[in-house]
Amino acid sequence: MRPVTTRTTGVVLLALLLAGFLLLGALPNQAAAIRVAGLSLLWWYGGVLAPVMAVLVAIRWLAEPRPAPSSDE
Amino acid sequence: MTSVARILAVWLTPTVVLAVPAALAARGPDGLWLGLVVTLAPLIALAWGTDRAPGDGSRDDETLFPVVTLLITVGVLLWANIALAGDVAAWLGARRWQGIVITAGAGWLLTAWRPLRRTAPVLLAMALIVGVVVLLQLAWALALGPIAAWDRVATQPAFRFPPSSPWVVGGRDLGVLHGGAPLAFDEVHRLTAPAGGILRARTLDGARRADIEWTLAPGQTVTLRAGDEISRGSTLRLRFEADKRVPGSPASGMLWADARPRRGLERVGLAVTLLAGAAALLRAGLTVRLPRDGLGFAAGGLLLAFVWAQAWAVYALIQAPDLFLGGITLERLLELPAHALFAEPWRRTLQALLLAAGLAAFLASSLALRERLGALDSTGGGEIGHDPGLWAGLFGGAALASLWPVDPWALSLLALGGAGGALGPAALWPPRHGRTAATAGVIGLIVFVGLAAVQLRGAGGGPLGAAIAYPALVAAPVGACALWLARRGRR
Repeated sequence: MRPVTTRTTGVVLLALLLAGFLLLGALPNQAAAIRVAGLSLLWWYGGVLAPVMAVLVAIRWLAEPRPAPSSDE
Repeated sequence: MTSVARILAVWLTPTVVLAVPAALAARGPDGLWLGLVVTLAPLIALAWGTDRAPGDGSRDDETLFPVVTLLITVGVLLWANIALAGDVAAWLGARRWQGIVITAGAGWLLTAWRPLRRTAPVLLAMALIVGVVVLLQLAWALALGPIAAWDRVATQPAFRFPPSSPWVVGGRDLGVLHGGAPLAFDEVHRLTAPAGGILRARTLDGARRADIEWTLAPGQTVTLRAGDEISRGSTLRLRFEADKRVPGSPASGMLWADARPRRGLERVGLAVTLLAGAAALLRAGLTVRLPRDGLGFAAGGLLLAFVWAQAWAVYALIQAPDLFLGGITLERLLELPAHALFAEPWRRTLQALLLAAGLAAFLASSLALRERLGALDSTGGGEIGHDPGLWAGLFGGAALASLWPVDPWALSLLALGGAGGALGPAALWPPRHGRTAATAGVIGLIVFVGLAAVQLRGAGGGPLGAAIAYPALVAAPVGACALWLARRGRR
């Protein structure tokens, strides 16, 4: 079995960010249309929060691991 | 393909970049979903699973299947973007063929001229910078930040023709509208035909519909009432009334911002299409070796493009709500949405800059797609990417096909979905043997072609509606199952 790498974690988090938009849109009584500071919750999430989180996930979890220091150092 | 800029250039073709603000303007939440998927899909595709190690699998076992599939994909993507250039030319009053010749000619020259082949990152950066500069200029002139602009759109009681709209000032030819949306009126509207012509309409008289044809003299007006609709095929120049509701626009800004979403399965279908397409386009047959923080930079570039698309859509709706007339199409988003905001020659300069950004984005994409295909060359020499005859044929064929108007976004989705169904599963889960990948790919492609054929015949709806609208929704999982079975069979 392949080990769970930080990249796997990153991919799962990105998929969850996408799923979050679908869940938010499916909330009853149009809860996602509630306005907060000028934007609706759905637009805050889909237009601001999720894309910014995706960048953070890419930086934190999707970066290549640092090369191991060579033994002769 | 190791450069972040080239990955962005392959993915962010002008059609894809403009599809997001077009979808945002047309149906807010659905456009938001498209933008989010366009932003996240390449990151997921690039980070998913493991790369094929160099030397893994037998080179003798490689097939031409991924090369041919990607060649066709690249050809269709070029077609979509060159067709968009033709649409832009026609929209801005030039001849369709002029936009096509300039774009296809510049694209071919750049791919054929060796010293310019490494300019994709520079061109992409130019396109991004110019796009952002024009957007900032628009925001500064309106004195509205993006959130305040969104709030203004979302609280508008209705989308009305501004007095400065070209549809009001001098009128425009109805023939340039090809969005497919009906021109249905919600209130009494007096239309003027400055040059005369034949206007066909479906009028509503009580509960009875009637098809009426008027032959209008130059300057003659006709009044349509709520429920009336201009018939498709009317190609005369028409002038609309200022401050009247734009036919086909949402009833209010609130309905635009909080429109009921499409069915969940259709959203999933779009996501699967773009995810599988990104895997095929960015990873198939390659060992992706990005710099350590490469995906972070790629994510930053994608975020910038998405933010630009959102702001562009919102400012366009404030300044040019007539975008809704006849349906929002991509080329209309390349017209500066500020008819009275800037004095000449500043307005013309900003419009020229916007077109230059679009051309630079197309050239960057063409170069990156050529390089992408060249990197797949099994001989390792990249001959496919350097063959001037092959690229002349690709650009020439795409230019010829573009003479007939097509929907560039539908073509791009078709290309990405087909590539995704054929190459996506093997790109995300590379088998040891090329034949295994090819077998699974052919099965995925057959399923995709079958469903796409049903879509082209106009069938759809019902429980299979999402699968027919997004054939990759079925083709990619079927290809993945075939790959899994083939891998088990090889053990």
